Amino acid sequence: MLFHEIYGCYYNAVAEILHQAVNGDLTEKGMQKIVSEKAFSESFLTVVPSLKDEKWQLLKKDLSTPIKHEPSMPLTDLQKRWLKAISLDPRVKLFDADFSFLDGVEPLFTSDDYFVFDKYNDGDDFENENYINVFRTLMFAMRNKKKTKIGYHGAKGTFRIFVGDPYKMEYSEKDDKFRVLIRSCRNGPMLRVDGIESVTIIGDAFADNTREVLESTEHITLELLDHRNALERVMLHFAHFKKEAEKIGGERYRIKIFYDSSDETELVIRVLSFGPFVEVTEPQNFRNLIIERLERQKNIQNKEL
Amino acid sequence: MAYTELIKNFERIRDYMREFYVYGFKSRDEYDKKSGRSYDNERRRIESYLAEYMGFRQSEKGKNVFLSIDSRSVSHNPLYSVLKSKSFTDGDITLHFILFDILHSPEVALSLSNITAKIDSEYLSSFSEPIVFDESTVRKKLKEYVELGLVQCRKEGKKVFYSRNADTDISNLCDVISFFSEAGLCGVVGSFLLDKFSSIEDCFSFKHHYITHALESEILYKVFDAISQKRTLTVTNTSRRTQNDRIEEIVPLKVLISVQNGRRYLAAYSISYKYYKVYRLDYLSDIVMGEVYSAFDEKREKFSLMQKNMWGVVCDERRPLEHIEFTVHIGKDEEHIYRRLLREKRCGTVERIDERTCRFSADVYDSSELNPWIRTFIGRIENIEYSNKLYENRFNMDLQDMYRLYGLGGENNALSRDLRLLL
Repeated sequence: MLFHEIYGCYYNAVAEILHQAVNGDLTEKGMQKIVSEKAFSESFLTVVPSLKDEKWQLLKKDLSTPIKHEPSMPLTDLQKRWLKAISLDPRVKLFDADFSFLDGVEPLFTSDDYFVFDKYNDGDDFENENYINVFRTLMFAMRNKKKTKIGYHGAKGTFRIFVGDPYKMEYSEKDDKFRVLIRSCRNGPMLRVDGIESVTIIGDAFADNTREVLESTEHITLELLDHRNALERVMLHFAHFKKEAEKIGGERYRIKIFYDSSDETELVIRVLSFGPFVEVTEPQNFRNLIIERLERQKNIQNKEL
Repeated sequence: MAYTELIKNFERIRDYMREFYVYGFKSRDEYDKKSGRSYDNERRRIESYLAEYMGFRQSEKGKNVFLSIDSRSVSHNPLYSVLKSKSFTDGDITLHFILFDILHSPEVALSLSNITAKIDSEYLSSFSEPIVFDESTVRKKLKEYVELGLVQCRKEGKKVFYSRNADTDISNLCDVISFFSEAGLCGVVGSFLLDKFSSIEDCFSFKHHYITHALESEILYKVFDAISQKRTLTVTNTSRRTQNDRIEEIVPLKVLISVQNGRRYLAAYSISYKYYKVYRLDYLSDIVMGEVYSAFDEKREKFSLMQKNMWGVVCDERRPLEHIEFTVHIGKDEEHIYRRLLREKRCGTVERIDERTCRFSADVYDSSELNPWIRTFIGRIENIEYSNKLYENRFNMDLQDMYRLYGLGGENNALSRDLRLLL
């Protein structure tokens, strides 16, 4: 069973509280802090009184505990089976991970049990030795706050050297590709990992450790007519964006989608895929991008006639 | 019943989460399936679990609640927290920590009576009103933990001895678990594992990441469990249109995943209907494992062959295959269009006709499934032909509607857009 209290955040919070109690470090303030960090926003209303009032008989009034050892729990079969399943994934080679402790464990699933039917066909080669080396060096640099020198092949075949501090790996499930986010890089904040020929650690990262966050600063507004299940399709399709939706009457809806400006072309294509079910109402420059493609299409059709 | 933050049954909150996250424009009165109090309780719970992602908007019909999450900006799926909200009794949690304290290392092996006596004498006797656990309660809990893989029991003569299973050091697996808890299937299990780490440095972010799948985790787990044992499943499938529930017996064969439209499906052989069917995972509930199905391998092999003619998820072998082909113009400096066709095609072939033109063609179960993809080439489509003329007409009429929507004319004799979209 996956939905089980042993995986719940109340159990996690209580384990941490008992951990401190066993070591004699527990205070009432500390208990509140643990609950607010490990559980939900209203959990303190239940967890703290339940322990203090001895409903859960694990803690005494003086915050001492009859528990003698720091709480721990072995892995469940579900957790082992999941780990075994991911150990069989080709992407796992990117990580220097040893799963030999799972010998004899049945995987929860294998590649025969699922199929991603619309992933692009030119994903990164996760089993390529150079790719693995580059990935691991970037991860090392991130973990240890190092500055790197990167030899990079751009999309148009140009080769350049960049110096910067890697701070995040972004993975796209659709593209099946990694990109690395780099601070202080002249080429903008993001490089394709499969474009990186070499990466070398050249020193410590800049003292400024603030991470540039990719913010969705642009937005488009769509109007949608809910026919042929368009509403559900559109809302699910754009579910990963920050968005707001409202009903504007009958079967018409207005949806505001926030996106990063570097994804504009992709968003144009995605809006086009919904055909006449959605109309971009603003901003005008985005609407013009749709109009431009439709005009080109109309011209082609007129030529055919 | 008084409000509690934790829940016993995940199904009800699953519906609300979906409504708040995927849609988010309904007011309290529009949740017609449930009572007002039920709405208030579920909204309060979700707010407690996901306060920082909740938004509110006042409309004419009342206050609308929505969940708005830019999945690119979060390293860990916030919706997993809902799967950490299972309720329990005072006895459950008390017994849990005491049992693992008694069985603190794999070397400690004790009988049931010994464990029960220790619980009383070493742990509970110092409380003013100690909870009383009888042997049957302790046995039941130990049995549950044996089934979960936490505890093992060993028989010696007539006596049964319990000990904890060996602990596993996963401290060097933080990155790999962190990545697959988002990019892998049933990722919430990875999230459970990450809870064991005292701190995690977030190194990953995810683009095109559909986090709503968290809500189907339990279903997916049961499906995989059945597939691995080659067993049938009895499922309740809720019709999207009628909202009617239908109970079916199926042989689960493969999970089909879309990373472009946010949906996940289960491809199965329906014993009830005697043909292959595909079910939306988010429409399934009340899954019960059945018997081992002797023809599992045969059915799965057949389905794998059918996949060669599936663009999306339609696999109705009772209807003939449909042919579709279209040609695309490649302008100067537009080689990326040709590469897009190669990269994005899921079946069929791409031919280079000449320097400026290429053709895609395929035979599929349902050619209308290609329409959204073909529309992404609008502005470059020179010719398009479907063997199913109904779909060809629909594609062309949709195009006319798009011209009209954006003020570019369109054919005059077409039906109104609103009417035709109903077709």
